[in-house]
Amino acid sequence: MNNLQAPVSQSLFSNTNGKQGHLSHCPEGKLFVHIIDQYAYSNRLRKTDPAYKAGLALTVLALCLLLNEPLVGLTAAAWMYLLAVRLAGLSARVFGRVLAAEAAFLLLTTIGVVLSFSLTPPGDLATWAWKVGPVWVSSSPPSLAQGVILVTRALGAASAMNFLALTTPLTDIIELLRRWRVPLILIDLMAVVYRFIFVLLDSLDTMYKAQGSRSGYHTGWFRSMNNAALLGSRLFIDAFQRSRRLQLALESRGYDGGNLRVLPVRYQADSRVLWAGSAAAISLVMVWIIL
Amino acid sequence: MTPILEFKDVFYIYPVRAERSALCGLNVQIPEGEKVAVVGRNGSGKSTLFLHCNGLYQPQQGQVFFKGQPLKYDRKSLKWLRQHVGMIFQNPDDQLFSASVAQDISFGPLNLGLDEAEARQRVRHAAEICEITDLLDRPTHALSGGEKARVALAGVLAMEPELLVADELMASLDPWMRLSIFEILQRFYDQGKTIVMATHDLSVVRYWASYVVVMDKGRAVFTGHPKDLLTNHEILAETGLSLVWWKVDPQFPNGESAL
Repeated sequence: MNNLQAPVSQSLFSNTNGKQGHLSHCPEGKLFVHIIDQYAYSNRLRKTDPAYKAGLALTVLALCLLLNEPLVGLTAAAWMYLLAVRLAGLSARVFGRVLAAEAAFLLLTTIGVVLSFSLTPPGDLATWAWKVGPVWVSSSPPSLAQGVILVTRALGAASAMNFLALTTPLTDIIELLRRWRVPLILIDLMAVVYRFIFVLLDSLDTMYKAQGSRSGYHTGWFRSMNNAALLGSRLFIDAFQRSRRLQLALESRGYDGGNLRVLPVRYQADSRVLWAGSAAAISLVMVWIIL
Repeated sequence: MTPILEFKDVFYIYPVRAERSALCGLNVQIPEGEKVAVVGRNGSGKSTLFLHCNGLYQPQQGQVFFKGQPLKYDRKSLKWLRQHVGMIFQNPDDQLFSASVAQDISFGPLNLGLDEAEARQRVRHAAEICEITDLLDRPTHALSGGEKARVALAGVLAMEPELLVADELMASLDPWMRLSIFEILQRFYDQGKTIVMATHDLSVVRYWASYVVVMDKGRAVFTGHPKDLLTNHEILAETGLSLVWWKVDPQFPNGESAL
């Protein structure tokens, strides 16, 4: 009877014991997309006009990319961190966690830039070289400098984008694109796809649990793979049938095949974001001039 | 008095299930200003009937009448019809297409050609009726099942239809949630409007409906007052509406005798 008392999490989302559930990434027991979404909807800049937030983030992003200096990237990252915590009221932990997830990708790219690998001994260009088994690993000050620039620049740029993602729900970004006259067909697609990510994630979770409760993922690697494939194909059919029902539902509300018309949202102007953005931009340029 | 909706000899066959007709010679009249329950087993043609109500499906034979006028299926007539016949689907997730609650509700009114100010007014009003004013700023995917059902209802009521058609709206809701939905429906009904709802729950027939339609094998086998249906044990048994508990286990666990 003892084994019945230990609940084993079979859900994609509710990760009760923290170790089980290989598809759950976050301690809160939700997928990453849920976490970002949750903060986007509940931060203190929620009501602020997305144009201000996007303007700020895109300016900082552009400056990071244009002013190619390590210190500019670091300053930008510091600014975005400061604004996210002080202005939007996000916790430092959340901001760091999202950045850390991206850092893994960044690290992989940087290794390729900083270190070079060869089977023959490296030439004169390499200042440092080590022999690891049959492979020569080498590096030099220029490639190290390039790596530093890459990391700092990406850090600043990613922070700017994270600021936007964590303070602005996708519905607001879609509204903004609508105002910026992005073709309506793209806007409609984005809106419907975003909505159905969550609907399909729910379906996926239900199916995954149903398979799990029939020991779908505990009978060997091959069976697991097979079941995952079944899950995928079933989900595809589910999405297809859903789109059919959605079409009927939209038509009953008077949709006749044009664009999906909805009311524009009203936002608040927020001069603080404007001032903060200007200050950040000026300081980035200053750092660049001084260097 | 002319019925608000009438089906005359309607046939409809699904292309993928050609051997069995979903509606075969359906004749039924929906009287105006009533709360109509449509009951019948799974596959008896309830959903197909509903999809004919606002012209989503076109009968392969026979005709559907709205207020005495035969339905026309050109774009303009359909638009007019769908303004007057509101439809709610079984699963709110099939109906809510926008991640923003307020924007989803505004979809119908804007399709009616209302201007922005008027549409905003409609959204606010529908939200008040459905008690979801505090949900307007929330994302759709963060709502509970009952909240989603009320938002879906608001999206339809914002179009101010005369006839509301609901296909098993409450199948997955708890009694408390159902009650709140019934209260919203009652407010709509009190304006002199008509509601048609599919259900498997005979208590809904008994305590809510003022008129009942029993579907079986693509036909309406009974129409009339709920009391007449509930005392007609033959029809109840034939159409599989009542749960005959003693067939499951003649020995009732709580000591009642079987017959």
